[in-house]
Amino acid sequence: MAKKPLISIIIFPGSNCDRDLIVAIKKTLNVETNIIWHNEKIIPKSDIIFIPGGFSYGDYLRAGILATKSPAIKEVIRWSKKGVRVIGICNGFQILTECKLLPGTLTKNINPSFLCKDIYLKLNKNNKLIKNISKEKLKLPIAHSQGCFYCEEEQLKLLQDNNQIAFQYCDVNGNINKDNNPNGSLLNIAGVTNLKQNILGMMPHPERAIDLQGLSDGKFFFEVLKQL
Amino acid sequence: MKFRVYVSFKEGVLDPEAEAIKKTLDTCGFTEIRKLSRGKFFDIDIKDKCKNKEDIVKKISDEVLSNPIIENFKIEKL
Repeated sequence: MAKKPLISIIIFPGSNCDRDLIVAIKKTLNVETNIIWHNEKIIPKSDIIFIPGGFSYGDYLRAGILATKSPAIKEVIRWSKKGVRVIGICNGFQILTECKLLPGTLTKNINPSFLCKDIYLKLNKNNKLIKNISKEKLKLPIAHSQGCFYCEEEQLKLLQDNNQIAFQYCDVNGNINKDNNPNGSLLNIAGVTNLKQNILGMMPHPERAIDLQGLSDGKFFFEVLKQL
Repeated sequence: MKFRVYVSFKEGVLDPEAEAIKKTLDTCGFTEIRKLSRGKFFDIDIKDKCKNKEDIVKKISDEVLSNPIIENFKIEKL
Protein backbone atom coordinates (compact mmCIF):
# COMPACT_ATOMS: atom_id res chain seq x y z
CA MET A 1 0.00 0.00 0.00
CA ALA A 2 1.52 3.30 -1.07
CA LYS A 3 -0.18 5.32 1.64
CA LYS A 4 -2.58 4.55 4.44
CA PRO A 5 -6.19 5.11 3.39
CA LEU A 6 -8.32 7.72 5.15
CA ILE A 7 -11.28 5.82 6.53
CA SER A 8 -14.42 7.28 8.09
CA ILE A 9 -17.13 5.34 9.91
CA ILE A 10 -20.60 6.83 10.44
CA ILE A 11 -22.31 6.00 13.72
CA PHE A 12 -26.07 6.30 14.29
CA PRO A 13 -28.07 5.79 17.46
CA GLY A 14 -28.50 2.02 17.38
CA SER A 15 -25.38 1.16 15.37
CA ASN A 16 -23.69 -1.78 17.06
CA CYS A 17 -20.99 -3.02 14.70
CA ASP A 18 -18.95 0.19 14.64
CA ARG A 19 -16.43 -0.94 17.22
CA ASP A 20 -15.97 -4.31 15.53
CA LEU A 21 -15.26 -2.45 12.31
CA ILE A 22 -12.74 -0.11 13.93
CA VAL A 23 -10.91 -3.06 15.48
CA ALA A 24 -11.06 -5.13 12.27
CA ILE A 25 -9.55 -2.33 10.18
CA LYS A 26 -6.87 -1.65 12.78
CA LYS A 27 -6.01 -5.35 13.06
CA THR A 28 -5.95 -6.14 9.37
CA LEU A 29 -4.39 -2.97 7.97
CA ASN A 30 -3.03 -1.09 10.97
CA VAL A 31 -5.09 1.94 10.00
CA GLU A 32 -6.89 4.28 12.41
CA THR A 33 -10.43 5.31 11.53
CA ASN A 34 -12.22 8.63 11.73
CA ILE A 35 -15.49 8.37 13.69
CA ILE A 36 -18.42 10.49 12.45
CA TRP A 37 -21.53 10.95 14.60
CA HIS A 38 -24.74 10.93 12.53
CA ASN A 39 -25.58 14.58 13.05
CA GLU A 40 -22.22 15.91 11.97
CA LYS A 41 -22.63 18.08 8.91
CA ILE A 42 -19.15 17.57 7.50
CA ILE A 43 -17.28 14.38 6.75
CA PRO A 44 -13.60 15.18 6.20
CA LYS A 45 -11.93 13.99 3.02
CA SER A 46 -11.91 10.21 3.07
CA ASP A 47 -10.84 7.45 0.70
CA ILE A 48 -13.55 5.21 2.01
CA ILE A 49 -16.65 5.69 4.17
CA PHE A 50 -18.18 2.78 6.09
CA ILE A 51 -21.75 2.56 7.33
CA PRO A 52 -21.75 -0.17 9.99
CA GLY A 53 -24.37 -2.71 10.94
CA GLY A 54 -26.82 -2.49 13.79
CA PHE A 55 -30.32 -1.15 14.26
CA SER A 56 -30.14 2.55 13.43
CA TYR A 57 -33.07 4.34 15.08
CA GLY A 58 -34.29 0.96 16.31
CA ASP A 59 -35.29 -0.06 12.76
CA TYR A 60 -38.40 2.10 13.29
CA LEU A 61 -40.68 2.51 10.25
CA ARG A 62 -38.40 0.46 7.95
CA ALA A 63 -34.84 -0.66 8.56
CA GLY A 64 -32.54 2.15 7.48
CA ILE A 65 -35.09 4.78 6.40
CA LEU A 66 -34.76 7.18 9.34
CA ALA A 67 -30.97 7.20 9.11
CA THR A 68 -31.19 8.41 5.50
CA LYS A 69 -32.43 11.79 6.72
CA SER A 70 -29.38 12.53 8.88
CA PRO A 71 -26.83 15.24 8.00
CA ALA A 72 -24.00 12.69 7.80
CA ILE A 73 -25.81 10.76 5.07
CA LYS A 74 -26.15 13.94 3.00
CA GLU A 75 -22.37 14.11 3.17
CA VAL A 76 -22.05 10.43 2.23
CA ILE A 77 -24.16 11.13 -0.87
CA ARG A 78 -22.03 14.17 -1.73
CA TRP A 79 -18.73 12.29 -1.38
CA SER A 80 -20.02 9.21 -3.20
CA LYS A 81 -20.87 11.35 -6.22
CA LYS A 82 -17.24 12.45 -6.28
CA GLY A 83 -16.21 8.80 -6.53
CA VAL A 84 -15.33 8.15 -2.88
CA ARG A 85 -15.90 4.51 -1.97
CA VAL A 86 -18.77 3.78 0.39
CA ILE A 87 -19.37 0.40 2.01
CA GLY A 88 -22.53 -0.39 3.98
CA ILE A 89 -22.65 -3.58 5.99
CA CYS A 90 -26.00 -5.10 7.01
CA ASN A 91 -27.95 -2.13 8.37
CA GLY A 92 -25.51 0.00 6.36
CA PHE A 93 -26.69 -1.84 3.23
CA GLN A 94 -30.31 -1.16 4.18
CA ILE A 95 -29.49 2.54 4.63
CA LEU A 96 -27.77 2.72 1.23
CA THR A 97 -30.79 1.22 -0.55
CA GLU A 98 -33.20 3.47 1.35
CA CYS A 99 -31.27 6.58 0.27
CA LYS A 100 -31.19 5.18 -3.27
CA LEU A 101 -27.42 5.09 -3.55
CA LEU A 102 -27.89 1.39 -4.26
CA PRO A 103 -30.66 -0.29 -6.25
CA GLY A 104 -33.27 -2.64 -4.78
CA THR A 105 -34.38 -3.07 -1.22
CA LEU A 106 -34.01 -5.48 1.70
CA THR A 107 -37.23 -7.06 2.95
CA LYS A 108 -38.08 -9.59 5.67
CA ASN A 109 -36.32 -12.93 5.37
CA ILE A 110 -38.46 -15.51 3.58
CA ASN A 111 -38.60 -17.43 6.84
CA PRO A 112 -39.54 -14.50 9.10
CA SER A 113 -37.03 -15.07 11.85
CA PHE A 114 -33.74 -13.49 12.81
CA LEU A 115 -30.93 -15.38 11.07
CA CYS A 116 -27.58 -15.72 12.78
CA LYS A 117 -25.26 -18.20 11.09
CA ASP A 118 -22.14 -18.61 8.99
CA ILE A 119 -22.55 -18.68 5.20
CA TYR A 120 -20.36 -18.91 2.12
CA LEU A 121 -20.16 -16.11 -0.39
CA LYS A 122 -19.13 -16.33 -4.00
CA LEU A 123 -17.27 -13.26 -5.26
CA ASN A 124 -17.83 -11.66 -8.65
CA LYS A 125 -14.28 -10.91 -9.78
CA ASN A 126 -15.63 -8.75 -12.61
CA ASN A 127 -16.87 -6.26 -10.06
CA LYS A 128 -14.39 -3.39 -9.82
CA LEU A 129 -14.76 -2.76 -6.11
CA ILE A 130 -14.07 -6.31 -4.90
CA LYS A 131 -11.90 -7.71 -7.69
CA ASN A 132 -8.71 -7.41 -5.65
CA ILE A 133 -9.90 -9.69 -2.86
CA SER A 134 -7.54 -12.63 -3.19
CA LYS A 135 -10.15 -15.36 -2.52
CA GLU A 136 -12.85 -16.80 -4.77
CA LYS A 137 -15.23 -17.30 -1.88
CA LEU A 138 -15.48 -16.17 1.74
CA LYS A 139 -16.98 -17.71 4.84
CA LEU A 140 -18.65 -14.96 6.85
CA PRO A 141 -21.42 -14.62 9.43
CA ILE A 142 -24.85 -13.13 8.76
CA ALA A 143 -27.15 -11.71 11.42
CA HIS A 144 -30.36 -10.12 10.17
CA SER A 145 -34.13 -10.38 9.87
CA GLN A 146 -34.50 -8.06 6.86
CA GLY A 147 -31.91 -9.30 4.40
CA CYS A 148 -33.98 -10.60 1.53
CA PHE A 149 -32.78 -8.65 -1.50
CA TYR A 150 -35.58 -7.65 -3.86
CA CYS A 151 -35.83 -5.48 -6.95
CA GLU A 152 -37.91 -5.36 -10.08
CA GLU A 153 -37.08 -7.70 -12.96
CA GLU A 154 -35.67 -5.00 -15.26
CA GLN A 155 -33.41 -3.77 -12.48
CA LEU A 156 -32.24 -7.31 -11.75
CA LYS A 157 -31.20 -7.75 -15.37
CA LEU A 158 -29.25 -4.48 -15.22
CA LEU A 159 -27.46 -5.68 -12.08
CA GLN A 160 -26.43 -8.85 -13.91
CA ASP A 161 -25.47 -7.15 -17.16
CA ASN A 162 -23.35 -4.53 -15.42
CA ASN A 163 -21.57 -6.85 -12.97
CA GLN A 164 -23.14 -5.06 -10.01
CA ILE A 165 -23.84 -8.27 -8.12
CA ALA A 166 -20.73 -8.46 -5.94
CA PHE A 167 -21.60 -11.34 -3.61
CA GLN A 168 -23.95 -14.33 -3.84
CA TYR A 169 -24.70 -16.91 -1.16
CA CYS A 170 -23.24 -20.27 -2.18
CA ASP A 171 -22.26 -23.66 -0.76
CA VAL A 172 -18.80 -24.70 0.41
CA ASN A 173 -17.83 -25.52 -3.19
CA GLY A 174 -19.06 -22.21 -4.60
CA ASN A 175 -22.31 -23.55 -6.10
CA ILE A 176 -25.15 -21.05 -6.08
CA ASN A 177 -28.56 -22.65 -5.59
CA LYS A 178 -31.78 -22.38 -3.60
CA ASP A 179 -30.52 -24.68 -0.85
CA ASN A 180 -27.82 -22.13 -0.02
CA ASN A 181 -30.09 -19.11 -0.03
CA PRO A 182 -30.57 -18.25 3.65
CA ASN A 183 -33.12 -15.45 3.32
CA GLY A 184 -34.92 -15.69 -0.02
CA SER A 185 -32.85 -13.03 -1.82
CA LEU A 186 -33.28 -12.87 -5.59
CA LEU A 187 -30.44 -14.80 -7.28
CA ASN A 188 -28.95 -15.46 -3.82
CA ILE A 189 -27.76 -11.84 -3.77
CA ALA A 190 -25.79 -10.94 -0.63
CA GLY A 191 -24.16 -7.74 -1.88
CA VAL A 192 -24.47 -5.27 -4.75
CA THR A 193 -22.69 -2.17 -5.98
CA ASN A 194 -23.95 0.88 -7.82
CA LEU A 195 -23.38 1.22 -11.56
CA LYS A 196 -20.10 3.13 -11.08
CA GLN A 197 -19.01 0.40 -8.65
CA ASN A 198 -17.76 2.75 -5.95
CA ILE A 199 -20.60 1.98 -3.50
CA LEU A 200 -21.08 -1.48 -2.00
CA GLY A 201 -23.81 -2.86 0.23
CA MET A 202 -23.58 -6.32 1.76
CA MET A 203 -25.51 -8.26 4.39
CA PRO A 204 -22.67 -10.48 5.74
CA HIS A 205 -20.34 -9.16 8.45
CA PRO A 206 -16.63 -9.32 7.52
CA GLU A 207 -15.79 -7.27 10.62
CA ARG A 208 -17.02 -10.15 12.80
CA ALA A 209 -14.74 -12.67 11.11
CA ILE A 210 -11.25 -11.48 11.88
CA ASP A 211 -9.98 -14.02 14.32
CA LEU A 212 -12.78 -15.22 16.54
CA GLN A 213 -14.45 -18.63 16.62
CA GLY A 214 -12.34 -19.93 13.78
CA LEU A 215 -13.70 -17.43 11.27
CA SER A 216 -10.98 -15.34 9.68
CA ASP A 217 -12.08 -14.71 6.09
CA GLY A 218 -13.07 -11.19 7.05
CA LYS A 219 -9.44 -10.14 6.79
CA PHE A 220 -9.50 -10.98 3.07
CA PHE A 221 -12.51 -8.70 2.63
CA PHE A 222 -10.55 -5.75 3.98
CA GLU A 223 -8.13 -6.17 1.08
CA VAL A 224 -10.61 -3.93 -0.78
CA LEU A 225 -9.03 -1.09 1.17
CA LYS A 226 -5.62 -1.77 -0.33
CA GLN A 227 -6.60 -0.89 -3.87
CA LEU A 228 -7.05 2.82 -3.27
CA MET B 1 -56.62 18.76 9.07
CA LYS B 2 -56.12 15.05 9.70
CA PHE B 3 -55.13 12.43 7.18
CA ARG B 4 -54.68 8.68 7.41
CA VAL B 5 -52.00 7.12 5.20
CA TYR B 6 -52.30 3.39 4.53
CA VAL B 7 -49.11 1.61 3.39
CA SER B 8 -49.27 -1.94 2.05
CA PHE B 9 -47.20 -4.29 -0.08
CA LYS B 10 -47.61 -4.22 -3.84
CA GLU B 11 -49.30 -7.19 -5.48
CA GLY B 12 -46.80 -9.98 -5.99
CA VAL B 13 -44.33 -8.92 -3.29
CA LEU B 14 -43.85 -11.74 -0.84
CA ASP B 15 -44.80 -10.88 2.74
CA PRO B 16 -43.61 -13.73 5.00
CA GLU B 17 -45.29 -12.18 8.05
CA ALA B 18 -48.69 -12.23 6.36
CA GLU B 19 -48.03 -15.82 5.27
CA ALA B 20 -47.18 -16.78 8.85
CA ILE B 21 -50.37 -15.11 10.16
CA LYS B 22 -52.48 -16.94 7.57
CA LYS B 23 -50.87 -20.28 8.41
CA THR B 24 -51.55 -19.72 12.12
CA LEU B 25 -55.19 -18.84 11.40
CA ASP B 26 -55.45 -22.02 9.32
CA THR B 27 -54.13 -23.93 12.33
CA CYS B 28 -56.75 -22.26 14.53
CA GLY B 29 -59.45 -23.60 12.26
CA PHE B 30 -60.08 -20.49 10.16
CA THR B 31 -59.66 -22.41 6.93
CA GLU B 32 -62.03 -20.10 5.04
CA ILE B 33 -59.25 -17.59 4.27
CA ARG B 34 -58.13 -17.50 0.64
CA LYS B 35 -55.56 -14.76 1.06
CA LEU B 36 -54.37 -12.46 3.83
CA SER B 37 -52.32 -9.30 3.44
CA ARG B 38 -51.27 -6.75 5.97
CA GLY B 39 -50.14 -3.14 6.10
CA LYS B 40 -49.77 -0.19 8.41
CA PHE B 41 -51.33 3.21 8.77
CA PHE B 42 -50.19 6.63 9.95
CA ASP B 43 -52.43 9.44 11.21
CA ILE B 44 -51.03 12.83 10.35
CA ASP B 45 -52.44 16.13 11.59
CA ILE B 46 -51.27 19.03 9.41
CA LYS B 47 -51.21 22.53 10.88
CA ASP B 48 -54.21 24.65 9.83
CA LYS B 49 -52.08 27.49 8.46
CA CYS B 50 -50.57 25.25 5.74
CA LYS B 51 -51.99 25.78 2.28
CA ASN B 52 -51.02 22.63 0.40
CA LYS B 53 -51.86 20.06 3.04
CA GLU B 54 -52.60 17.17 0.69
CA ASP B 55 -49.40 17.74 -1.29
CA ILE B 56 -47.38 17.65 1.93
CA VAL B 57 -48.97 14.36 3.01
CA LYS B 58 -48.40 12.90 -0.46
CA LYS B 59 -44.73 13.90 -0.38
CA ILE B 60 -44.27 12.44 3.10
CA SER B 61 -45.95 9.21 2.03
CA ASP B 62 -43.89 8.89 -1.12
CA GLU B 63 -40.50 9.87 0.28
CA VAL B 64 -40.56 8.47 3.80
CA LEU B 65 -43.55 6.39 4.84
CA SER B 66 -43.48 3.97 1.90
CA ASN B 67 -40.80 2.23 -0.10
CA PRO B 68 -41.95 2.60 -3.73
CA ILE B 69 -40.09 -0.54 -4.81
CA ILE B 70 -42.31 -2.81 -2.75
CA GLU B 71 -45.12 -0.70 -1.24
CA ASN B 72 -48.19 1.30 -2.27
CA PHE B 73 -49.84 4.00 -0.23
CA LYS B 74 -53.33 5.42 -0.06
CA ILE B 75 -54.31 8.70 1.61
CA GLU B 76 -57.66 9.25 3.33
CA LYS B 77 -58.98 12.47 4.83
CA LEU B 78 -60.24 11.95 8.36
